[in-house]
Amino acid sequence: MSRFDSSPLWPAISIVATVVAPTSVAVAATYLTVEQAQKALFPAADSFAVIHVTLTAEQTRTIVDASGPQAPHGELRGWAAKRGDTIIGHVFVDDVVGREDFITYAVGIGADGKLLPVEILAYRESHGGEIRDKRWLSQFAGRSDPAQLRMRADIKNIAGATLSSEHVTAGVRRILALWTTTLRPLAGGN
Amino acid sequence: MTITAPKHPKRLAACAALALTSATVAAHAAPQEELEARLDALAAQVVELRAQLADLQADRARTAAPPQSAVVSNAGFEAVEAEVKVAWSGYGELNYSRPEDDGSATTADLARFVLGAAYRFDDSTRLVSELEIEHAVSSAEDPGEVEIEQAYIERRFNDRLFGSIGLFLMPVGLLNENHEPTRYYGVFRNLVETAIIPTTWREGGFELQGNTDGGVRWNVGVSTGFNLSKWDATSAESLEEPLGSIHQELALASAGDLATFAAVNYTGIPGLRVGAAVFTGDAGQEQPGFEDNRVTLWEGHARWNPGNWDLSALYSRVRIANTGPVNLTLVGHPALIPEESFGWYVEAAYRLPLHDQKTIAPFARYEVLNTASRVASIGAGLTPDPLDETEALTAGINFEIARGVVLKFDYLQFLHDDRSDRFDLGVGYQF
Repeated sequence: MSRFDSSPLWPAISIVATVVAPTSVAVAATYLTVEQAQKALFPAADSFAVIHVTLTAEQTRTIVDASGPQAPHGELRGWAAKRGDTIIGHVFVDDVVGREDFITYAVGIGADGKLLPVEILAYRESHGGEIRDKRWLSQFAGRSDPAQLRMRADIKNIAGATLSSEHVTAGVRRILALWTTTLRPLAGGN
Repeated sequence: MTITAPKHPKRLAACAALALTSATVAAHAAPQEELEARLDALAAQVVELRAQLADLQADRARTAAPPQSAVVSNAGFEAVEAEVKVAWSGYGELNYSRPEDDGSATTADLARFVLGAAYRFDDSTRLVSELEIEHAVSSAEDPGEVEIEQAYIERRFNDRLFGSIGLFLMPVGLLNENHEPTRYYGVFRNLVETAIIPTTWREGGFELQGNTDGGVRWNVGVSTGFNLSKWDATSAESLEEPLGSIHQELALASAGDLATFAAVNYTGIPGLRVGAAVFTGDAGQEQPGFEDNRVTLWEGHARWNPGNWDLSALYSRVRIANTGPVNLTLVGHPALIPEESFGWYVEAAYRLPLHDQKTIAPFARYEVLNTASRVASIGAGLTPDPLDETEALTAGINFEIARGVVLKFDYLQFLHDDRSDRFDLGVGYQF
């Protein structure tokens, strides 16, 4: 006869299984959609206009130098957040590889060039899920220079989610460098 | 949106011209009204064809235009496929180790070479696998081993809850789930998370893992456990890593008794991680002569990164129950089964960033451990003495020359111990 049912941990596991498992079946994979992320970042905006940027070779070099090494990215998308005809900020949605799979995250930059807290739209692997911690994501808020996004010195590492935290930080650095190089004049910032 | 460009717009125009020519030829033989009707019909067809042609040309122009939602097109940034089906990974470590007092024991080793593949079946289901070769060559005459380090199916129930089934790493300590050479200081893994926690420790079973927005990660599961009948009392080496000598690694594991485990980690304050884990399961595995030999391991750990500092501490304790009756059958051999073992360490590193993403990190680690701090009494003259505590100080440098490549140097000194102190050199990588 198996003696595993005499484990002192078994009651705890039963409780978790009873409480959590049915919930998990009922709740489908729920994420923040792009539209929800846009609204969360700029609730005052009444429209979001798709933007397209073509970079010169020199701009690309500037951005690459300012953003540092990057993990593989998916397609980067962007919108101008508008209130009437005024651009009040920009929203970017990017995919970057965490440990093995893509993390989808949204970055908001105000017209003053300052970052808003980063939003995670989707996290797809079990390890490194700590990246979703609100307080970690809030570390980005208020920074306006890619040089203020140094891992550890500015943005604290997450022990146990090192790759995810490094890759997202580098991705935000790239987006901020892109904005500074190409979109700053459009935003009416300084 | 899918847009299909017209493949042969010129052919459409040619058809229209041909239709008009045919109509002109037919006009000679037909009455006036019929001709007018036909001309009206043809005119209507031409208008329709021109409209179709214009649509197709517009479609083609739209297809050629850059995708409206892409901010950065191909100007320097390569976007990879949005869906990663197979993700390859790997790590490896090579080392050179020279004991100070015994040159004959100097070794150079390709200690680990690991290749991993993760395959995504659908949005919620993945396979995670790692294949490892230890010590370069595995054959009957060589010391190497080929091992499957991980092979499990992971299912995402929602953004906060995951389930795993298969062979996976135990969520125990600071190193076990993050054991790649770029993630720890020193050429070799620390002594406590080698001798007390048998890193890389994996078991077969089920696991549930959850994360909360507040920074709590929890794991619970049911898995295979240790097998005390594997204990080799004839070799004193068994006492160097008690759990490492009775682990099963899902290699035709005896599974008469299953184990349970639970872990919780808090990372809600950026830069801080505190956590604890407990694993417990009978290691008797219903083998004859083994009864109620529950192995319980628990540990608590903390890691804190203030600025460039990287500070860690861990305490772990292991108890193997009811070892007396088993040890009675082993009397006379050099290695009887310990009832208790424990270890702890504190570590400090300073990660000095250099230009170009290079980092140099001097570190020091102080460890205390005893793999047999208590032995169950089996009578006077028969019960072996507990071992003395091992105290060790390691100091060295990790030099990260590129993201994922690290050169290492350290010096390990055993305090009041007759074991030989040693110098180690190493190189490690992870991708």
